[in-house]
Amino acid sequence: MSEASGRIAEHPDVSEASGRMTGGARRGRSGAPATIDLSVRIYTWFLAAYPARFRTEYGLHMAQAFRDLCRRDFQRGGFAGMLTLWARTSLDLARTTVEEHIERGLDMNREKFVRWSGWALMAGAVLFAAGLIIGSFDSYDMDPIGGVDAFYEIGQVAGLLLGHLLFVIGLLGLRTGYAGRSGSLGAGLLLLAVFGGVVSLGGLVGMSSVEAGWLAWMGGYLAVTLALAVFGIVAVRRRVFSRWNFAPILAGVGIPFLFGIGMVGVDSVSGQAPEWGAFLAVVLTSVGLILIGYRMQAEAGKIGEVAA
Amino acid sequence: MAEAAQGPEGFLPLTPAVFHILLALADGEKHGYAIMQEVEDVTEGQVQMGPGTLYGSIKRMLAAGLIEESDDRPDPTLDDERRRYYRQTGLGRTVLRRETERMAELMALARRKHVWAGIGSRSIPT
Repeated sequence: MSEASGRIAEHPDVSEASGRMTGGARRGRSGAPATIDLSVRIYTWFLAAYPARFRTEYGLHMAQAFRDLCRRDFQRGGFAGMLTLWARTSLDLARTTVEEHIERGLDMNREKFVRWSGWALMAGAVLFAAGLIIGSFDSYDMDPIGGVDAFYEIGQVAGLLLGHLLFVIGLLGLRTGYAGRSGSLGAGLLLLAVFGGVVSLGGLVGMSSVEAGWLAWMGGYLAVTLALAVFGIVAVRRRVFSRWNFAPILAGVGIPFLFGIGMVGVDSVSGQAPEWGAFLAVVLTSVGLILIGYRMQAEAGKIGEVAA
Repeated sequence: MAEAAQGPEGFLPLTPAVFHILLALADGEKHGYAIMQEVEDVTEGQVQMGPGTLYGSIKRMLAAGLIEESDDRPDPTLDDERRRYYRQTGLGRTVLRRETERMAELMALARRKHVWAGIGSRSIPT
């Protein structure tokens, strides 16, 4: 018997298996029929099969409820009543211990995934911004990788690719953790953000070999940021995060704004558009994503509870 | 601690255990054993929840914001103060109402299709 089960068994609620019984059965030290005392003790041993967190929270109350059931069924049907109760309770124990363990396992996996994807989103935002900013120093933008500006080019490609991959993982974690509390519109927007992220990553990977790659990258990225901006409004209204619900708006507003005024994409960062505008958009996006990622890893423990 | 995970529609359809627990709490707060007794009584023994089913459902309902723990005691002199009492939240009431409406719509459909004649009849003989 585990320590927690032992404590439950020793608790007065459980060990005093009612002195109010009036039947003629043999009585234990507390005045309760020995059958009830024994049943409650055995039941508390079985409680050890539940996950520790569940047992600690509800074990005592379950034992108390079982004691009440024992008293009632013993009064109604004597030993036969107790046997029927045990048959029913055994099935209940077998089914719900498995359920609780599965649920605990799923919660832990979800919790871990959301926590790690929060870190991924933060790292992705930093790398992505670094890639764009490093790339802006590449003075020979369209030449093949190598030569005098090889550092900038390799830095840009590595930062963008790795950053984007982490970014997609982070968005997937965001949807996994927060779709349930965002309503149907919020959940749909998060799905759009994940889809846009995947399209954008595909475009980035295929950019050098497929002409439409650039279009897919920018289109996907625009979809991600737009979806995040609108999701931010949902987050503010529904208080999706416990703090900083404005963060998705911050993350999503910069790039669509740049698109809107015709200062588009990588070129804007590398010099064709006002540097300050592009820089501001990248910084806003990254800060927003970092804030979202921080909330995700900080709140991951609560996500399991809510999802339950 | 309760936090609403989703809108009322997102909870539907309810599991039988959750529906019966919400229904048992419709007329006031109750502790675990009282809920089990009420469910058994109103269903004439057809639904019998074990402690595992009851408290597993209670745990999920608390997390979803459908019920909450109550500090009030109906009469402290008559009851064990160590018992935990539960009551419906606003969301819980709404969800129960929506589920009942959903069931009523299903029953109306069954009547229109001549599958069921109404309260007091089991089914229309074919």
